[in-house]
Amino acid sequence: MKLYVQGLQAVVLMCAMAAAQADTTLYEKIGGAAKCKAVAEEFTAAILADDRINFTFAESDVKKFTQLFYEQLCNVTGGPCKYTGRDMHEAHAKLAINEAMFNAIVEDLYIGFEKAHVPYRLQNKVMVILAPMERDIVKPRDFVAPNTTKPPR
Amino acid sequence: MRRMTVVTTLAVALGVVGTGSARADNLLGADEGKLHLTAGFSDLDGAGGGGLVPMAFITGYGSDQSWGANAHFTNMQLRDLHLYTYGVAAGGLDRFELSYTRQQLDITSGPLDGLGVKQDVFGVKVKLIGNAIFEQDSFLPQVAVGAQYRHNDGIKHAEAVGLDGLINPKQLGAEAEHSTDYYLALTKVFLGQSLLVNAVVRETKANQFGLLGFGGDRHRGYSTKPEASVAYLVSRRIAVGGEIRTGPHNLSVDDQGNAWTVFVGWTPTKNISLVAAYLNIGSVLAPVTQVSRHQDGPYLSVQAGF
Repeated sequence: MKLYVQGLQAVVLMCAMAAAQADTTLYEKIGGAAKCKAVAEEFTAAILADDRINFTFAESDVKKFTQLFYEQLCNVTGGPCKYTGRDMHEAHAKLAINEAMFNAIVEDLYIGFEKAHVPYRLQNKVMVILAPMERDIVKPRDFVAPNTTKPPR
Repeated sequence: MRRMTVVTTLAVALGVVGTGSARADNLLGADEGKLHLTAGFSDLDGAGGGGLVPMAFITGYGSDQSWGANAHFTNMQLRDLHLYTYGVAAGGLDRFELSYTRQQLDITSGPLDGLGVKQDVFGVKVKLIGNAIFEQDSFLPQVAVGAQYRHNDGIKHAEAVGLDGLINPKQLGAEAEHSTDYYLALTKVFLGQSLLVNAVVRETKANQFGLLGFGGDRHRGYSTKPEASVAYLVSRRIAVGGEIRTGPHNLSVDDQGNAWTVFVGWTPTKNISLVAAYLNIGSVLAPVTQVSRHQDGPYLSVQAGF
């Protein structure tokens, strides 16, 4: 009987641990603030090294971008951060980003995760949240940035 | 054989043209702007997909404002059969796909040892809607439709197995030497699970992919046959999975069953893709040969392009 109770206690404890595990946020699974900051820094570095996309950051405050991406990553994964930047549509309103450029950014983010040693399965779980932003960022083929004129043919 | 040399030369050329790191447009103005694995591999019929089953992905790494092209060679050494295919494919605007593949079957043991069949497959595919990767907030898959015109080139070396005069699959009971398959492909990547799920419905008359002709004494017309593939994404460049492709049973001389694979696909760069698989196409011509064992063995495929 005593053994039975002990066994039951063990099962209850294991269930509680499993439940606690299930409550763990993606933010915590990734590795919290330190890891998210590392990802943001590696992501920024990968973008700046990527000729397919880095020219769109020519007039950007790179430090601010890194900080805002950290906040966003932390926020969307359930961390204790507030994202203080503009929404994705507004932030990219003037940028003529096409599908290939967006995919380049996605590759750079994967590189950022890899360099920060975040496991691939967790990378994809973050991508689930970020991927739908494609429709706020990618512009149609005939997009002309506001306050610019279409270049003459 | 000359055709194969052309395809091999093209493959090498296409691989060289690729930028490798995809840092800018390549020599032919293609942007290699799609994510790894999203060009698919070259399937048995030359379409962008896995090994046996096509997918809704458009072949090549060109984005929606560019184009891509590739050449492939696939070798399947099954128990009593040697099957190999080679061909070229191109994708435009991440919307259209054109492909040509030559399939060659040589029987290498058993009562029909020496017999050979060749077939050409011309494919076209159009992506209709959806984005298999980015629409993670909905269940909507990427959807494409395709058609494959298959032309059987006839049976060779039948005299070697004492079947003098057998030159056409119609003599086995098939209704035609050429036919067109139509298919609908639905592809979705569930990133949260790192899982790719793909379902296809094919309208077909093909007996053993068309290598034994089209339609037959048991059933003349089209059959609606389902196909499916599932792949687990191990990394950005590696997928492991399985596929099943069902076929019609049109000929009384052939107990056509299901074909299936278990595969590993690897795209080290956007210029080269490799697939290693175990392929099982079931028994072939069993009522004739009295050899009912399954034709299975290794499937190896290499694709070069951009």
